Amino acid sequence: MPTGKAAGTRCSGSNLSHSPSIIRRLSVIGPWVLVLPASLALLLLLVLPVAGTLMESFGNPKGIWENYRLFFSSSYNRAVLIRSFWIALQATAVSLVAGFFGAYMIANSRPGLKRVLLIVSVFPLLTGVVVRSFSWMAILGRNGIVNTALIQLGLIDQPLSLLFTQGAVIVGLAYLFTPLMILSLVGVLETIEDDLYLAAESLGASPFGVFRQVTLPLAVPGMIVGSVLVFTGSLATFVTPRLLGGEPQMTLATLLYQKAMISFDWEAANTIAAIMMAVTILCVFLMGWLVRRATSARVAQ
Amino acid sequence: MNRRKLHPLMQLAGWLVMLFLIGPVVIVLGTSVSDTTYLAFPPKGLTLRWFENVFAQDSFLSTFAISMQVAAGGTLLALVLGLAAAYALARYRTTIPAWYGSVFFLPFFIPEIVFGFSLLKTLIVLFELPVMPSLILGHAILCLPYMVRVIGASLASFDFSIKEAAVSLGMHPVRAFWTIVLPNIRSGMIAGVVLAFITSLNDMAVALFLTGPGISTLPIEVFTYVEQFFDPTVSAVSVLLMAVTTIVMILIERSLGLSKTIK
Amino acid sequence: MSSMVSLMRMAAFVTGIALPVFASAQEKLVISDWGYANDFLVPKVYEPFEKANNVKIVIETGGAPERLNKARIRGGVDIIYLTDKFSQIGIDQGAFDKIDASKLANFDELYDAAKHPQGDYGPAVTFGRYGIVYDKTRTATPITSWCDLWRPDFKGAIAMPGFNTTGGPSVVMMAAKCAGTDAFSDPDAAFRKMAELKPNIVKTFSSGSELTNLLSTGEAFIGLAQDYAFPAIKAANANIGWAELKEGDFAMMNTINIPANSKNKELALKFIDWQISKDIQQISSIALGGGQGPVNKNVELTPEQASRLVYGEKAVTSMQTNPYEKLLAVNADWESRWNTVFGQ
Repeated sequence: MPTGKAAGTRCSGSNLSHSPSIIRRLSVIGPWVLVLPASLALLLLLVLPVAGTLMESFGNPKGIWENYRLFFSSSYNRAVLIRSFWIALQATAVSLVAGFFGAYMIANSRPGLKRVLLIVSVFPLLTGVVVRSFSWMAILGRNGIVNTALIQLGLIDQPLSLLFTQGAVIVGLAYLFTPLMILSLVGVLETIEDDLYLAAESLGASPFGVFRQVTLPLAVPGMIVGSVLVFTGSLATFVTPRLLGGEPQMTLATLLYQKAMISFDWEAANTIAAIMMAVTILCVFLMGWLVRRATSARVAQ
Repeated sequence: MNRRKLHPLMQLAGWLVMLFLIGPVVIVLGTSVSDTTYLAFPPKGLTLRWFENVFAQDSFLSTFAISMQVAAGGTLLALVLGLAAAYALARYRTTIPAWYGSVFFLPFFIPEIVFGFSLLKTLIVLFELPVMPSLILGHAILCLPYMVRVIGASLASFDFSIKEAAVSLGMHPVRAFWTIVLPNIRSGMIAGVVLAFITSLNDMAVALFLTGPGISTLPIEVFTYVEQFFDPTVSAVSVLLMAVTTIVMILIERSLGLSKTIK
Repeated sequence: MSSMVSLMRMAAFVTGIALPVFASAQEKLVISDWGYANDFLVPKVYEPFEKANNVKIVIETGGAPERLNKARIRGGVDIIYLTDKFSQIGIDQGAFDKIDASKLANFDELYDAAKHPQGDYGPAVTFGRYGIVYDKTRTATPITSWCDLWRPDFKGAIAMPGFNTTGGPSVVMMAAKCAGTDAFSDPDAAFRKMAELKPNIVKTFSSGSELTNLLSTGEAFIGLAQDYAFPAIKAANANIGWAELKEGDFAMMNTINIPANSKNKELALKFIDWQISKDIQQISSIALGGGQGPVNKNVELTPEQASRLVYGEKAVTSMQTNPYEKLLAVNADWESRWNTVFGQ
């Protein structure tokens, strides 16, 4: 470590070598030099590889739409596509409801409790998706807590098959993504001004009326963002449908893996990847449009 | 910030959601000490043998080491790239248009499994890169958005005129960056590193396609184990991983405040 | 200043733990196997070979199709164990090298059925069979035929192999037989029969250990299994037994091959010779039991040991066989039919 004095001399010394024009030129190029490495990394490792996958999905010599025609001509693939959307939609609905109630409580808790609740909600987000899906295998399995409880209550005498069902996948995905929904909503719900509530109440609105006419509309942008995050996330998750659903609950993500690594049909894998990309992009644009509409509607009010 | 008194039903719903979020964690904890070869909750008998079994599995230990190396490499790479980019974005707002900042969030918008498959075709098949560097590069991309965002957030509240003052007083710009800027955004960097590390440590989608002979990551190994054996060893691994996560969270909470970090 | 120091410390730490990975230059032999028997194979088969040849053996484990694809597109594998179905696929894809039998000292000791099961490629290393296992306490009438799988009292009871496993297509062939026809000439009837099986299936599995899992937790109580998985299943649930089927079991064998992109072929050949030697075959058959029927004629087993195995050439040739060439020709068609039946 240089001493302060030595460092000082070196500083002033090096400054002398910079003529103002170089500094001015640097201040134009410099910023771009700093963002260049990260941009290049994104271009080479993300944009080009993914673009390559998209291009290859049109690369069938029989015509650019041939791979898509093949994909959609199979009733099995169509069923997988519809099932993926349906599962993602239901998981989104579950986490929207759970996320709203969770976030509403957090936003209206006293600071100490709020911190604890926030930690409880974020904690699952920081453990891996394998662990989180596995925990539901322990809950829904034949010796799991649900079956044990039902048997002890005398409601059933043979354990139910809860695992490897669509319901299991939906619950598993909702569990994965509810924390994201809570994070998207807490901020929005916190910023609702107390005056608004007071005004609504003084105008004679019932507590439910206040909730319906003040809280819900103001939370809409957060709900849209959260829903899109959950929907696209559910669509792209591989581990949960694989562990909790198995082969009968094949989704786009598990089918992509199967085509890519097991049956080694890369044309089909490229096509599935492209479809997933298209759906995701569509959802993101839809989100932007809906949020803009929701906020402008509120401003208009 | 305002607090509303909650309707009892809303309160109940809120607590049910919290139970939904924390219940599975408690159940995994319970099954990990159950003295049965299957997952049982409430646990039947108490044992630590599943934890012993974790440490008896060479594959868990060796893949944990690989996961740590990949996470360290990927995080470091993302830190260097992300710090430079975040600095330029915050410091030179006039030169770099604001929309350019959102470019760095691209990895958030591409389904991870599509990214993993594309990386397999590019890095492994086309460029014949070995498994380890491929994993590190892939994870660096996954971590980059967190770095840019978190470091960017802490740079946003940094007053660049302090640095300019030092430079105009004769300090070399690079040196001013090291001694004035970096210490001021330390908390942001630590938070970024922690988030990136956790992201890398938990990644399945990229590792699923990139892992190769003799080189596998812990999540992949745990996933394979879950598919094959249904015994409480996985519960024990999960508990250990959660313990690591908890310690990390306590550390962030102590040093930075969680609410600051996640927003 | 302190942040700079800590950053440099971190960099040093990272290179410190990352370097050994890039720098491991010792000669290695990468073996790709299923992983289910590595508790035995590593100390008794792999480690002695490591010591004798001063080499480090690295193991990659997983399901057969994934391992085959990874070895082919990613390289780096020197020895790959597969069931005969997948080694045939690999051969058709040009993934393996032919084996020069004259370089294998123990080759002449092999049964004829094991010598060239698939042309001039790798020899068989074990003989096994494929049949039905079930929990005998959960049904009053024992299973005596493949057609019993369709019994109405087996609703939600069966763990079924996925189509992309060794046994998947065999079930289709049996379905056709139970419908009184032939699967190759009348696939429509075969898959109509498969559709009737659907209510009885609780989950499809892709590996033997997944099957063990399903049977030991009781999620399923009937499984279609290769005999290599049987000891583990039996250990997890003692009530499970091997069904005596009047149509007979299917013959299976595991083969060993050298991927064409291996960079260590000489040593790989040496390993194959080691794997088919009398001593290794003998200890494997005795220690692992099911699925490890010896391929070396000089292996001698007691009647008790032999009872758990496919032992001797006669036992191998008396079972039903899978016509792999025919099966691979219809593979794509059957896979899409299978998916149509089970995926909806």
